[in-house]
Amino acid sequence: MSARQNTPLPVALQKRNFRSTAASEFRERCVVAFLAMCGLTTVLITVCIVGMLVSQSWNFFQSEHVSFGEFLTGTEWTALQSQELENAKFGIWPLLSGTLRVTVIAMIIALPLGLITAIYLSEFASYRVRSILKPTLEIIAGIPTVVLGFFAILVISPSLQWFTAGAFDTFNATSAGIAVGILCLPMVTSLSEDAMRAVPSALRDAAYGLGSTPFETAVKVVVPAALSGIISAFLLAFSRAIGETMVVALAAGTRATATLDPREQSQTMTGFIVEMIKSENEYGTVQYFSLYAVAITLFVITFGMTLLGQLIRRRFQESYQ
Amino acid sequence: MSDMPNAEERSGDARSQRKSKPADPLPSALVDRDQVQARSNAQKRKSFDRMFFWLCVAIASLSVVVLVVLLVSIGFQGQSRLTSDLINNSHSELEPAKSGMWPSIIGSLLVCGISGLVALPLGIGTAIFLEEFKPANKLLRTLHGFIQLNIANLAGVPSIVFGLLGLTVFVYMFNVFGQIQVNRPSDWELFGVNHYYQVLSLEPGQTILVPQQDQSQTTIKISEPIEGIDNDGNPFQIEIWDRASGPKPADRETRLKTVKKGAVGGSYSKRSWYYFRLPFGKSFLAAGLTLGLVILPVIIIATQESLRAVSPSLREASLGLGATQWQTTRNISLPAALPGILTGAILALGRAIGEAAPVLVVLGAAIAKNRGPENLMDSVVTMPVLIFNWAGRPQDVYQQLAAAAIIVLLVVLLALNSVAIYVRHKVQSR
Repeated sequence: MSARQNTPLPVALQKRNFRSTAASEFRERCVVAFLAMCGLTTVLITVCIVGMLVSQSWNFFQSEHVSFGEFLTGTEWTALQSQELENAKFGIWPLLSGTLRVTVIAMIIALPLGLITAIYLSEFASYRVRSILKPTLEIIAGIPTVVLGFFAILVISPSLQWFTAGAFDTFNATSAGIAVGILCLPMVTSLSEDAMRAVPSALRDAAYGLGSTPFETAVKVVVPAALSGIISAFLLAFSRAIGETMVVALAAGTRATATLDPREQSQTMTGFIVEMIKSENEYGTVQYFSLYAVAITLFVITFGMTLLGQLIRRRFQESYQ
Repeated sequence: MSDMPNAEERSGDARSQRKSKPADPLPSALVDRDQVQARSNAQKRKSFDRMFFWLCVAIASLSVVVLVVLLVSIGFQGQSRLTSDLINNSHSELEPAKSGMWPSIIGSLLVCGISGLVALPLGIGTAIFLEEFKPANKLLRTLHGFIQLNIANLAGVPSIVFGLLGLTVFVYMFNVFGQIQVNRPSDWELFGVNHYYQVLSLEPGQTILVPQQDQSQTTIKISEPIEGIDNDGNPFQIEIWDRASGPKPADRETRLKTVKKGAVGGSYSKRSWYYFRLPFGKSFLAAGLTLGLVILPVIIIATQESLRAVSPSLREASLGLGATQWQTTRNISLPAALPGILTGAILALGRAIGEAAPVLVVLGAAIAKNRGPENLMDSVVTMPVLIFNWAGRPQDVYQQLAAAAIIVLLVVLLALNSVAIYVRHKVQSR
């Protein structure tokens, strides 16, 4: 009994310092409030984007030389070419058709190639091939877009002209589209591959057990099972291609044309914005505010695409337990 | 493949029929199964499969080919300009052959630094809020879902729209503070700037600074002794020399403090690096903030991914020991997620270095600048903008310069990425 009294208490018990629970609770609340502020800032950014686009393009539509109907249906866009405001035509269709031409060409390249590469990576590729292909795709994904634009005017456009004996303009929708396709390819590949890897191997085993070939397993079992992920990857790539700027500013040309001919110049919406910024039009003119009208169109399209992609992913996602 | 279950069903039927009426022959589908056709069908499927495999290989290797062609063609185009001029000089209209990209390298790194300083705390904070503080409250859960949706949408916004946001909000601030005019100081200069008049002293090439009182008056005429400021910022009395009063003072010290009677001085502003005014104008700070907005969603998503990858049992253990949610986050989740967060952050910074569109919209396409930014409100040139400008010119020399500048940009990006890999390796192995 006396021996026990002599032994000192363990250090952990001697040095117990009680901290005030109230203080730490208060600190906890502060931290949560700070983090919530961070989260709300991102909402604020969206609000700012929408507010800015609406308020500034309001200035555009307020002008007497512009009508909303003409903007939506007009087939001539001469904001930069016409010096006098009276002669300037503001119809969005040339820019829209330019954007769509480039985007469609990009999608023709990126979607099939990306999907097949993804199938290869997730179903067939050995470890060694993966270790070459994956970093290659990552490098392509990390290449700045201005570099791809330069590549388009340095290599793609001259070789197109060479193959077709000069049928293509120097600046044309096809070479820009090909470069944008290269840009979107890694994104389609990695997102589709993720979706396909999430398909449980039991499904594959079942298909093989029924005697399917690897091709049949991939195309008739794995791709349909991952379809929601693949489609949302496609939509993401699509909105990325629509919003892509530097490639089209360099390689697509500066004449807004409302045709379907992929060999011609085609100014896109983003290309027009860059051209406008380069022209250093003064703040406050109608031409300047047309920038925002184009930007709001661009924003609405990409925003719609992203929302649709998320809806598809949420609604149609198959979950395997 | 689709007819296989049918075949099984049919054979099952056959068996049950056989049981009831053993005398009946087998269904014709089973008896007359054409072995040859089945074999050729299998053969066809197999060869189709092989073809598909090789198609896959061909298409997958296409990306490698594209990358190689890209690097080789740019290297070939740019190798003749990879000289020390490229690194040391700045852009020059008069001597394109000696143009370089030094201001743009400095500018890119600094702008990228600002964007990181803005976006990293904000992005990591948001990601922690979304991943670690999942509330049970229904209203707050809705808020969480809303923020999550909002971030996914922000990630899809084209970077040029962020550029326009930067132009409207940071450069002009909705014109609340009035337009910025060249050669006229803004009325909203908050700190970091001193205005002077610059007057030539008697010593050739040397000037004297006189503090400016009234900003609307852009010149000053000195006819009587007033207070000036020397190079160290100490006040002194400026002497006046009149041609009528005799020869110029011989002593250099005196000459440095003396001006001719009636000398005229123009206004001059001395700005510290933290010079701050509203609105920001086409400045270094505006560009950095805009790029910060561009990379914010990238950082948030990367951080969320790596926080999600932390095993929940670690968190549960910490919570079970009585730690609060924030203590758990700080001591358990964040250290475990650190490699992923760092990698994501560095990749986002690489994206910021390569982005041209937002910077172009915020700052315009001007590239004539022979040094990096000297204060927060200084204009700046970045590498992608310089490349865009050079690549858009028809002359061969600028095409070669653009290719050479691309090589430098890719080397900087490569260096950044290897830092990311190194950091991840280091943190993981600890």
